Amino acid sequence: MQMPPALAPALPAGEAGRHFSLPSRAATPAPAPAAQPSWQRQQRRSYGWGLYPALIVLALITLAPLLTLVVVSLTPLSLTDPAGTFHFRDPLGNYRQLLNDPRFVHSLWVQFQLSSVGVTLQLLSGLGIALLLHGRSPVLGAVRSLFLIPMVLPPIVVALIWKILYTPDISPLHQALEALGWPLRSLIAHPDTALWAVVAADTWQWFPFTMLMVLAALQMIPDDPLEAARMDGANRWQLFRFIVFPHIRAVLLVCALFRLIDSFKAFPLLYVLTNGGPGTVTEVTNFYGFIQAFNFSFWGYGSAIALVMLAGVFALSALVSRLGRDGGDDAR
Amino acid sequence: MNFDTPGFPVYNQRTDLELSTKGSAYDVVNVTFIYSSRWINSGWLTPLDDFIANRNLTPAEFDINDFLAGARAPETGADGKLYGVPWTAEVTLAAASRFDVLKSAGLAFPDTLDDFSRAVQTAHRKERAAGFVTDNHYGWTFPPFLQAFGGDVFRKAPHDLYPTLDTPEAIAAADYFARLLRDFGPDGAVSYTADQSLQSLKSGRSNLGIQGQIYLSQLADKASSKVAATTAWGAVPRGPAGRFPGSAVHGLGIPVGSKNAPAAWQFIAWATSKQITQRAVAAGYGSPTRRSDMQSQVFAERQRVNGYDIARLSSDAIDLAAKQGHMKYRTVAVYPQIDQQINKAIELIVSGQKSAAAAMQQAQAGALAELKRSGIAV
Amino acid sequence: MHAEAALYEPPFPSDKPRRPGWLRRHGRETAALALLALLLFPFLWMVQLALRPAQDAFEPGLLFVPTLDAFHALWQDQFARSFGNSLLTSTLSTALALLIGVPAAYALTRWRFRARRHVALWILCTRMAPPIAFTIPFFLALRWAGLLDTVWGLTLIYLTFNLAIVIWLMQSFFAAIPAALEEAAWIDGCGVWSAFWHVTLPLTRPGLVSTAVLCFIFSWSDFFFALILTRTQAVTAPVAIVNFLQYDGWEWTKIAAAGTLVMLPVVAFTLLVRKYLVRGLTAGGVKD
Repeated sequence: MQMPPALAPALPAGEAGRHFSLPSRAATPAPAPAAQPSWQRQQRRSYGWGLYPALIVLALITLAPLLTLVVVSLTPLSLTDPAGTFHFRDPLGNYRQLLNDPRFVHSLWVQFQLSSVGVTLQLLSGLGIALLLHGRSPVLGAVRSLFLIPMVLPPIVVALIWKILYTPDISPLHQALEALGWPLRSLIAHPDTALWAVVAADTWQWFPFTMLMVLAALQMIPDDPLEAARMDGANRWQLFRFIVFPHIRAVLLVCALFRLIDSFKAFPLLYVLTNGGPGTVTEVTNFYGFIQAFNFSFWGYGSAIALVMLAGVFALSALVSRLGRDGGDDAR
Repeated sequence: MNFDTPGFPVYNQRTDLELSTKGSAYDVVNVTFIYSSRWINSGWLTPLDDFIANRNLTPAEFDINDFLAGARAPETGADGKLYGVPWTAEVTLAAASRFDVLKSAGLAFPDTLDDFSRAVQTAHRKERAAGFVTDNHYGWTFPPFLQAFGGDVFRKAPHDLYPTLDTPEAIAAADYFARLLRDFGPDGAVSYTADQSLQSLKSGRSNLGIQGQIYLSQLADKASSKVAATTAWGAVPRGPAGRFPGSAVHGLGIPVGSKNAPAAWQFIAWATSKQITQRAVAAGYGSPTRRSDMQSQVFAERQRVNGYDIARLSSDAIDLAAKQGHMKYRTVAVYPQIDQQINKAIELIVSGQKSAAAAMQQAQAGALAELKRSGIAV
Repeated sequence: MHAEAALYEPPFPSDKPRRPGWLRRHGRETAALALLALLLFPFLWMVQLALRPAQDAFEPGLLFVPTLDAFHALWQDQFARSFGNSLLTSTLSTALALLIGVPAAYALTRWRFRARRHVALWILCTRMAPPIAFTIPFFLALRWAGLLDTVWGLTLIYLTFNLAIVIWLMQSFFAAIPAALEEAAWIDGCGVWSAFWHVTLPLTRPGLVSTAVLCFIFSWSDFFFALILTRTQAVTAPVAIVNFLQYDGWEWTKIAAAGTLVMLPVVAFTLLVRKYLVRGLTAGGVKD
């Protein structure tokens, strides 16, 4: 369809650009003056066409497995004897066991540490690097793509690389440090440092996620408020705090949510670097669930662990997204 | 015919899943040692006795009895039927990558546990090498020491499965083993996988090692090993209770869901026939399961390095395992959980988080809980 | 490209009357390059590992004779097939996720119905699907549908995490576009979706491209689902790499070579589309 003539002159930059209105709560779509009730209905129907396919697909591929998960968690199902252990004689048996399982409780604490510190570091480093790279220059343009590399490597390869880097005998890092006179003992073999070594590798792998999204959001910030503020004499920090940050806030929140959710699913790094050890200092809940389900074949128990985790992640996400909403400028 | 060789942990997950859901994606599977009891006794594999007896499918010279009894035992179910044809038998050996260092200090290849710790202490830090290394699958590398000290995993596997991880002997063994790693191992030894442990030995960064012979025999490979000329091999150290080298057997089996069982059997019969195994041995294969292969001249020659007879060491170890039956703990269906407990316990001791007594007591409690969970009365 | 560059203005320009020193002008670039070298060190080290002969993999020295043995070995190992599978699966699942997800994200942003917040949260939840626990139902379902070990089966399963990303990320980008723009189009008689196509979507091009890149990356690096749901036909690159962790020794140079190869298409793709990551034509904004 041809662009309606009334719209054409409005788009390119020019005088029109000066009269920009920031997206704000005031911009809730009001019906156009000439609206009839059928327009609203038509509008709603159109929106429906856009939304329903996604909802249907998602329902199909997540509700069914979720149901299975719930059902299995109510049984002591073990794959070594599927027929004999698939019964509902003691539906809450797995959950009772969870409460009395110190290894499970410990795994929650490890998970909390990994998620909170890891996500914070990823957000901060991603944001910082995005701000650094947000500039006009062909060099910066190419560098932006290269910075994606850690995220693009298959996680198993990242885990293997870091495994070598953390093995003093063959690691170039350790050897360089030793040559400089600061020998470092193996980080993944010591209970005090194992988790933080994993967090470091995790941050290295995932900071590009935040960086990419923040860069895209920075690109979409309109010029005029910045121009105006600069002409009024605002310095960099003020520009950032009052203009840039509100614009990227929504994206930062989404990044935080997604990294938080993904941190609960962290697996390859732990599997290769520490295997949950030494002892259980890096055994997060997901890993513990994996051991129960795949090494011991206790599917019922593993499912119960997974459900508890889901509930926890759900609650956390609801909390974080509500904090983001209530905290201020929300274009939604 | 599709021949697929995924990585070992991948293979185990996939096969476990496929077998437990009685899938028909595979016709022939490798019956992994640690899972053999689970897979066989859960009824996930097809018994092979009828195929073997059928002269139309199996020629007479296949001779199932040529396979070592000790190798056939783990492939036999509780009902006495054979479910897998063993194709590899692996044992734990000891090796000294820089035996020249020990020799110049006046030591012979260590025989007893005391000799071993003395050798490790002497070798430590000489030529920039750590004294001792092994891989971190302690549920496999620790039991030889555990049993040498007089302890064991269970009271009397497979009948009496009461775990005995906190006996004084077990604690002493754990203390000895962890001390070797902690005080004389390379930095970060607790994170060393089998591959890393081997690399450490191959490059001369560690001296003494206890590992599977499939790894230690690679020390003789001049192309990749720096220490080919200075390596010495021997049996695992002997303790007050005797010598207990670890031994593992893998076999070829047919899943119960397979739709081509006769064809699958033909493949197995061919792959494990005398012609094929003889060719493998001639090419350097070091872990045959047929007695005829183990006693052959070709095998003995290929496996003699630096004056050490690796073939002899391996076959002695397998015979010892068959005679003493000390590997029965490993094919207990619930062993993977106990394996975990042992892994964690040794990790805790090596990383200094718990004392040997505390860690082994925790392992004992954990093992009892796991047994109870699996519904096994002790 | 030049027109876009001219319209583009970085937020903190240093437009002083006198030409500042070289460092001042190129400080940002220098810092970026230095940071790149530092952060990419592990990766660069992996690439040099791929070029080493197998037995010298961990030699401490920096000098070695580079060889393409590892890459040759990969080729013979039929790595090319798993590579192709990865490419196919990732492209398909990205396209599918965008096709279904972008309209949904738009609808969710503009359509203020009562249960909006709940639906959005539920969509987010679908990403929480723990791979560990969901694999068995997926395995059984795909086997029943005959889709096990097929590219399409895997693509369908990848929608579980890609749809949520597309919807949530695009929502945040659509929210930054003032509705006034679309209203103007509606007044002129455009339907909801044609206004979307002609007005909103071009404005969110950087967001769209970034989201596509992310979807591609997440599908590309998935390990767990590919492990359980493929056998030999549809096996993808990350799972194929694990095959180099052989029972009797890990083939490090092959792992490094595979890692290098697997990374290339995505970085190449991003380099190609990087101009779309820059703000589009409507830099000026909107007249009220």
